Amino acid sequence: MDFAWTDEQAAFRKEVIRFAQQELNDDMIRRDHDSEFSRSHWNKCADFGIQGLPVPQEYGGGGADTLTTLCALEALGYGCRDNGFLFSLNAHMWTTEIPITAFGSEAQKRRYLPKLISGEWIGLHAMTEPGAGSDAYSLRTRAARKGNCYVLNGTKTFATNAEHGDLFIIFANVDPDLNPNGVSAFLVEKGTPGLIVGKKLHKMGLRTSPIGEIALVDCEIPAENLLDKEGSGQAIFTTSMEWERTCIMASHLGMMQRVMETCIKYARERSQFGQPIGKFSAIGNKIADMDVRLETGRLLLYKAAWLKSQGRHPLRESSIAKLYVSEACIQSCLDAIQIHGGYGYMTDYQIERELRDAVAGKIYSGTSEIQRVIIAGLHGF
Amino acid sequence: MTTANQATIKDQVRQFIREELASAKGISTFRDDESLMANGVIDSLGVFRLVTFMEENLGVRVGDEEIRAENLESVDKIEQLILSKIKKN
Repeated sequence: MDFAWTDEQAAFRKEVIRFAQQELNDDMIRRDHDSEFSRSHWNKCADFGIQGLPVPQEYGGGGADTLTTLCALEALGYGCRDNGFLFSLNAHMWTTEIPITAFGSEAQKRRYLPKLISGEWIGLHAMTEPGAGSDAYSLRTRAARKGNCYVLNGTKTFATNAEHGDLFIIFANVDPDLNPNGVSAFLVEKGTPGLIVGKKLHKMGLRTSPIGEIALVDCEIPAENLLDKEGSGQAIFTTSMEWERTCIMASHLGMMQRVMETCIKYARERSQFGQPIGKFSAIGNKIADMDVRLETGRLLLYKAAWLKSQGRHPLRESSIAKLYVSEACIQSCLDAIQIHGGYGYMTDYQIERELRDAVAGKIYSGTSEIQRVIIAGLHGF
Repeated sequence: MTTANQATIKDQVRQFIREELASAKGISTFRDDESLMANGVIDSLGVFRLVTFMEENLGVRVGDEEIRAENLESVDKIEQLILSKIKKN
């Protein structure tokens, strides 16, 4: 076992942190207040090479291995205070780029990946429906074959990046009698007649990440826009989730470290009763617990990523890591607010926002309850 | 690959499916050519339990793009996938 980053990975990590701290944190309180997504930050990340990291070089990507990609996303979480923006970035990479890379035809890869990597296009997938959340494969969106086309009809909700999306991966069932085995994925470009992006939804946290509804009304797309084959939807969706659960939690780890360091600094500088508050065990213990959660989360996540880098399918490990890190992150943010007292509750201190952002981690990419169902299910229950 | 080894692989796959997946669904018998996805023995989680079994017990690696019904829906097809991978190695 080797728990150290290589010299190259460590140097890259430093470079990502420097980039994020310098380029992605401006005007954060206002942008959160206004629920404003930053397209200029998106373009800066593309220029830096973030969006292309996991995509093979032959399509313009960085061709980074799983662990290097995870390293970069953890560094982004540490350097960038805009958790909503990172959520959008992760959605773009794991639910659009990865499925096309893994399942796309050569023509689809050539057409879409360069645009998604360069920042020109923003991608998203649309799986969740008003009546199909955790029971994802019970979706009601239908795809009917009509000559050389498919006609899509249905409604999607909670679609991250919808408002700014250029390429939509829409999950629809080609034959409800096949149940989950009929679920298929379709590539739909912005501007396609019948693709209607509905209202932007307002939310508790991750406000700088746009999320919205999508309606498909007799939306006709060429048959060659089917991703892989009819019935591949389950495999495509699960692959996306496996990547997302591993890598999006890496950004959580970076955020947990940033929040912990903020608390350590504050606990050293803030004095009460004649000594720094960190000297009081009530505060010091909270910081110790934050550190234990961070280190535990790292070990879980790195193991999942390592298994993935070995060509394995770490469904169990990524579910355990996702469950643990998302819940640990919330507890650490609560502790951070408590350490800062009244100041922690104030918007200007930018800790309450971290908590609001962290809460979503227990919900997206499969709720904590679903992660437990997966883990128990893998034991035959 | 000898015929004996081939039979062993198929036996192991059949046993895993019977004991770990089918029994929980109250299904005790199935044919080697029967679609285990259509009859509910292999659901979305079962697919990954099966892949994990293949990786850990039979020493094969299954790519993301190979996790699909045409490769995994019956004992016969699972055996074909495993054999094709063993032959490549």
